[in-house]
Amino acid sequence: MSEIAGILEYAFFRNALAAAILTSILSAMVGTYIVSRKIVFISGGITHASFGGIGMAYFFGLNPFLGAAIFAVFSATGIEWISQKGKVREDSAIAILWSLGMALGIIFVFMTPGYTPDLMSFLFGNILSVTHSDLYLLLAFCLVAALFFWIFYRPIVNTAFDPEFALIMGIPVAFFRYTMSVMIALAIVLSIRSVGIILVLSLFTVPQITAMLFTRNFASVIPLAAFWGILGSVLGLFASYLLDIPSGAAIICMLTLQFLLVKLVVIVREGVNRKRKGDGDF
Amino acid sequence: MSIPLVKIENVSSGYFSETVLREVDLEIFLSDFIGVIGPNGGGKTTLVKTILGIQPLFKGRITYPSGKPRMGYLPQISQIDKSFPITVRDLVGSGLRARRRWFPHLGSDQKKQVDTLLEEAGIASFASRPIGELSGGQIQKAFLCRALINDPNLLILDEPNTFVDKGFEKELYRWLKELNKKMAIMLISHDIGTISPMVKTIACVNVNLHYHPSNQLTEDILKVYNCPVDLIAHGPVPHRVLKDHE
Repeated sequence: MSEIAGILEYAFFRNALAAAILTSILSAMVGTYIVSRKIVFISGGITHASFGGIGMAYFFGLNPFLGAAIFAVFSATGIEWISQKGKVREDSAIAILWSLGMALGIIFVFMTPGYTPDLMSFLFGNILSVTHSDLYLLLAFCLVAALFFWIFYRPIVNTAFDPEFALIMGIPVAFFRYTMSVMIALAIVLSIRSVGIILVLSLFTVPQITAMLFTRNFASVIPLAAFWGILGSVLGLFASYLLDIPSGAAIICMLTLQFLLVKLVVIVREGVNRKRKGDGDF
Repeated sequence: MSIPLVKIENVSSGYFSETVLREVDLEIFLSDFIGVIGPNGGGKTTLVKTILGIQPLFKGRITYPSGKPRMGYLPQISQIDKSFPITVRDLVGSGLRARRRWFPHLGSDQKKQVDTLLEEAGIASFASRPIGELSGGQIQKAFLCRALINDPNLLILDEPNTFVDKGFEKELYRWLKELNKKMAIMLISHDIGTISPMVKTIACVNVNLHYHPSNQLTEDILKVYNCPVDLIAHGPVPHRVLKDHE
């Protein structure tokens, strides 16, 4: 216990905790949209495409996250555009984007002279190196997203659920679809800081499917997903410190463990209920 | 003759460069109950989407001589993702327009309106349930409520009789008959047999549209209309599609 109190005295650890909480809240909102619309694969494409931006930014000596953000936004809106035009097979387009982004990233990093120190941290995240300015950026975006979700909750849900009907109702469907694409892209890039490109997708899916074991109402999934996300990532963070394992991987394992445990409880409970009902038949 | 709600003149439409609907004319009046039949891919849904204004026209025009009608639409349920986390109440509420553009939540009176309609439809006890927990008939009812919540004067239903049991189908038709007293109804079906006793007139859509001003069709007329319907195409014995003329 004293060990836990001890690490809380380190600023880097407090920053990491704050980042874990903010990232969980952000991914709870955006991830609920992703899971509900069943666009997890699209989000995977956006995530990996952003590596191309990171590589390019390295090569030209720019901020890697700026590069990632630009690539992510372009690929997100590009995929949305393709899916609305419907002329190309969407899944193939995503696969191309996915691998092309990674390939470009690898080439540019390879061509960059000298040593590229924190390449691994982009792939696997490094939440312990989060700075104050990272946190402010995360907080600001979290607030913007929360405000957007709060104000436009109805059109966001309605365009996600039944875009055709939303169009009939006079909702600017394209505006909301593209805005959400941009939001997904930026949320992913901001979360890459914590858990990395390879692992980030689970932050946007695992707490949400855990929450959906309890509720299937969009508005209630968000806070519940935030709860599971925060719990899992904070526990993961402590586990990574105590067991001396990489933080991103520890967080993802903790989130998944949570999901499996909750799922198990649900299955057992359903089994018990069924048995009780069955007993009545005898 | 009264003024039509919708006037479709010489309309062609489709997807990309492929014409699905060619030079179609149709007038819809408030008292109408039109059965829209035709083979799959014949353009029934495209016709409906042009009327709803979400399908670009290649040619022709659609006008609303008595002002833009309020339209209620029930899409094909097979197109809907039933696992989406939305409650019955929110689903029905999505058929209402918010008053404010910059904070488009429903007013408390509108929420009450939703609950009242759910009560009338007999699905009030499911209001807070996600749609994934409903049976086929209950889902259809919920979507019908969404179509009706705006008090439409034109109700368009795309295959409402799929995935439902016979009991619900009967109830649905009773309901529609009642609704037809105050609104026009367009009922799309590939199964002419079940809808023909219900509807007043029939539109056969197979790229072209042939309007038949009664609900009695014979196989010969369908042939002339070039409107192959499922029942005729692979019915083993029956050569008459509809009930006998009295």
